[in-house]
Amino acid sequence: MRFSTRAGHRLLSLALYAFFAVCFFWPIARILARGFETQDGSFTLQYVGLIFSDPQLVRGLVNAIGIAFVVTALCLCIAVPLAVLSVRYEFPGRGVLGGLMLAPLVLPPFVGALGVRLLLSRLGPLTVLLGMGGGAGFDWLGRFRAIGIIVVEALHLYPILLLNLQASLAGVDPSMEQAAANLGASRLKVFRRITLPLIRPGIFAGCTLTLIWSFTELGTPLMFGFNTITPVQIFEQITDVADNPLPFALVVVTLGVAVGMYLVGKVLLGRSYDSAATKASVASTPRKLSGLKAVAAWIPFAVVLGLALLPHVSVILTSFSATAQWYRSVLPRHFTLGHYQAALTDDLAIPSVTNSAIYASLATVIAVAVGLGVGIIATRSKLRDRGFIDALSMLPLAVPGLVLAFGYLAISVSLKQKYQNALPIWLNVQEMPVVFLVVAYAARRLPYVVRSVVAGLQQTPVDLELAAANLGAGRMTVLRRITIPLILANLIAGALLAFAFALLEVSDSIILAQKEAYFPITRAILELAQRLGDGVYVASALGVWAMVLLTITLLAANRLLGRKMGAVFRI
Amino acid sequence: MGRYGYIVLFFAVLIGPVVARALHNQGQGRETAASGGEKIVIITPHGQEIRNEFRWAFADWHKQKYGTAVELEFLNPGGSSDVRRQLDTIYRAIRESHGGQLPPEDQIDTGIDMVWGGGDFEFNNRLKPLGVLHPLDLSAATMAEVYPQPALAGVKLYDQERDKSGKLLPPRWLGVCLSSFGIIYNPDIYRSLGLPAPRTWKDLTNPRLFGTLSLADPTHSVTAAIAYMMVVQRAMAEAESAFLRQPQIQGKTYGEVRAMPEYKGAIDLGWKEGMRRLVLIAANARFFNDSSTEPPNDVAGGDAAAGTAIDFYARVTVQTVGTERAIFVAPRAATAITPDTIAILYGCHGKQLELANHFIEFILSPEGQRLWILKVGAPGGPREVALHRSPIRQSAYQDRTGWADDLNYFENAGGFNQRGDWMDTFSELPQIWAAAWIDCRDDLLNATRQIMKVQDTVRRDELLFELSDIPVVRQNVDDEIAEEARITADHSQDPDVWRAKQRLNWAAKFSEHYNRIGQEAAEQLTP
Repeated sequence: MRFSTRAGHRLLSLALYAFFAVCFFWPIARILARGFETQDGSFTLQYVGLIFSDPQLVRGLVNAIGIAFVVTALCLCIAVPLAVLSVRYEFPGRGVLGGLMLAPLVLPPFVGALGVRLLLSRLGPLTVLLGMGGGAGFDWLGRFRAIGIIVVEALHLYPILLLNLQASLAGVDPSMEQAAANLGASRLKVFRRITLPLIRPGIFAGCTLTLIWSFTELGTPLMFGFNTITPVQIFEQITDVADNPLPFALVVVTLGVAVGMYLVGKVLLGRSYDSAATKASVASTPRKLSGLKAVAAWIPFAVVLGLALLPHVSVILTSFSATAQWYRSVLPRHFTLGHYQAALTDDLAIPSVTNSAIYASLATVIAVAVGLGVGIIATRSKLRDRGFIDALSMLPLAVPGLVLAFGYLAISVSLKQKYQNALPIWLNVQEMPVVFLVVAYAARRLPYVVRSVVAGLQQTPVDLELAAANLGAGRMTVLRRITIPLILANLIAGALLAFAFALLEVSDSIILAQKEAYFPITRAILELAQRLGDGVYVASALGVWAMVLLTITLLAANRLLGRKMGAVFRI
Repeated sequence: MGRYGYIVLFFAVLIGPVVARALHNQGQGRETAASGGEKIVIITPHGQEIRNEFRWAFADWHKQKYGTAVELEFLNPGGSSDVRRQLDTIYRAIRESHGGQLPPEDQIDTGIDMVWGGGDFEFNNRLKPLGVLHPLDLSAATMAEVYPQPALAGVKLYDQERDKSGKLLPPRWLGVCLSSFGIIYNPDIYRSLGLPAPRTWKDLTNPRLFGTLSLADPTHSVTAAIAYMMVVQRAMAEAESAFLRQPQIQGKTYGEVRAMPEYKGAIDLGWKEGMRRLVLIAANARFFNDSSTEPPNDVAGGDAAAGTAIDFYARVTVQTVGTERAIFVAPRAATAITPDTIAILYGCHGKQLELANHFIEFILSPEGQRLWILKVGAPGGPREVALHRSPIRQSAYQDRTGWADDLNYFENAGGFNQRGDWMDTFSELPQIWAAAWIDCRDDLLNATRQIMKVQDTVRRDELLFELSDIPVVRQNVDDEIAEEARITADHSQDPDVWRAKQRLNWAAKFSEHYNRIGQEAAEQLTP
């Protein structure tokens, strides 16, 4: 039996709704209900009202929104020139630089923060290097809190924007720009009037992700001890020893703001446009740079990399530093391999590696499948709720990981109560958290895949698919032979981000994986980092291993996809 | 590199450590597989070292004593508040599915037998009211042997609730080891700042320490909250002794003195003085940490001049970095000593209950108690890591051979005890502290910065005094507690909303106060 296209889309959309209902709404509702529920169970808006009547919480929101916009603007300033240089110009070392530019993405949590903290510590390498290490040193983290947060976040998040811009730029039909140039437009005017509008989906995708990420970012402000910012306020209250409904209401407000940001972005940048006009059938030939011009092209890369790789260097040096031997000095005083041996013999570290690889791979498969579905509905269907489905898939970005994690936990517990021993072991998170972890990772990382797929589909002319269908190809054949190959680069880019971030996922890993046998890497790193004495060093050793694995993942995918990967990284 | 080269490399890096570990273990003859058979499931915030050492030692002990190897299986959802949240979630779900009541113990299966770690306040004031703790069945002889004194420095070592007739009920939680809370400081930084080493909490109020203290957040660490309460109680004790020295008091009994309204006034002023000292300490804070392991790290790394620390974290830190970079001080007559705690969970029954009781038997036994403090390699000591925690069983202190630290809280706890009657405001204080120190942190820091710019030192000290004199008196807190009790009893308001509002109100009040003093200081600056 064959469905009409519309019926097919409707069926797909129902499947997506089912996924969202089970994987987002159920857990979120279980927890967010606390934000709308009085103790006797009746509905209230008091808590949400309370938030707006409190100057501290309002200030927290203003700070979070302000910082998010500045971070995004800074990311744009970093990513646009880099994307243009890497896509439009050819110069020696471009390939190596391209891989390295993604390095901030492979910085594992906890040790990444420890790396930054160590680097900027009062008596740390930076202070000593600048000759300020005498006396009590200089308190970088304490003095430059807001600026510090913005710089650290921008240097961490620019690759998201860079990836999207590169994919979009590579998809721009050079004939359009050539035509404009032929008509006498200056290079700047071509960029402003032709290129920029054409890469708008990429800018929208990248900016939305960066904006919402930096708006909900918890680790960095926490590291700088900046409390008047919404994510920290939520975290402080949710982990508070007293039972308090306010953080849940604050999560609701956060969700609202994040959805608002998404919608504003969509209005400003994400307007759909004539897709037939885009997607280059031929890639533009990069202009060759040599001599001084090539050197000049290197400078922005070197500056950004030099800053962005400092935390990595710091983590690597820590992993080789003898315990407590990096104090009032630029480099550790003594080096050792002992921490790697300690990590190797640790009962948690190595099994966690295997666990994480399994969880992250499974989660990526799910995220790609669902992401592709959302992309197809959002760009290829005429369903009235297509925009809504697209927006739904972005929700996990705005929900703090802790909330989703506690939601899953609550579901598992209530299932256990209902079905007692009849409950299959894989639905009991205390016994076997694998399924919950995989679903949580997939749900949390879905937005990257969706944005990437949608950007690809928007730039791919629908005519090609229609032509194939006219020639008698079935829907699956069109998907397999036309659509997926055309957007493969976007799909891979999304999948890579999903895999990398799933490997480094924090909240779900901590709340859901409670049994040592199921610990993923992040949980093992946290456990090690808290170990007294050499903990930080051994955790760094495991962190270095994770960075190496992620770097190889990116390089391997790059190599495997050959030129198609080039459309994303374009290096 | 070819495309297959990368794939090979990827798998090599992925599998390499696993293979290396297997080879290493083979060489060392280490067993990696967990023993099968019976197990006890324990939910705990304790770290890997404690979990591993007790798992190994208990398996050996059980095999020797009862002939079977029993494995401890741990659930580790994070810190003690995460443990409580999880237990609350589980038992709430059970209640919901049984019409709001917990069914008899043998009709439920939570999959968790015990909860271990969190301290007396967490167990007594948070977990016990949730109704999730099972009454423990220990003989009077055992209790007397383990706990010859029921309390240490005013802190109960096990649950001592009585029924209406005054009869002692079976305890629902037990203390299993002791820890204290004090100050860790970096002598190197102190020298650089030209300051003498801190000896008491009051030494941390020095404004020259601005931006150099690493403190624990009282809403996240109950131990830290108790330490801050000790600062308040210390000031109250000073006020009391000053009052008792007055000539008109001589000849009166303590009971008579306590009935005097002037006495209450003096103690309330002491309370306020304690709160004031804490604001000055908070104004010097660079960070408020959720994890109690952070301050010792900050201090040892040179990021903070001093910080709050649990004794055993501090001891390991000092051992790791040396006394050039870290020294631990138990503040004179203001140290909070608290027990770490264990309990069996409601619903643990049958064979599991029997096994859980075996674990309690072990952890309170001389062997279990020595495991807390012995050096690695000492007979009966830990296999891999010394735990540096102090036994709660007093008789364990008689023989201290092979101990990692030579200390005895039962001998050193003197000086000043925690006063139960002065703990009345404690349940509300962490919220108020958080409002004053953390919620309004920016305002507090800005005002302090302004004041520090004032050149006239007398005026500067006056302003600092005014700043720290936050608008709260003991009576406010007492009223708040009474109000909360009323609301909870008569259901006139949602207590959660009310509590959340209270914290916001306090923060608004403190923020206004800090800004006003900051403004005053700024006016001093403009000629």
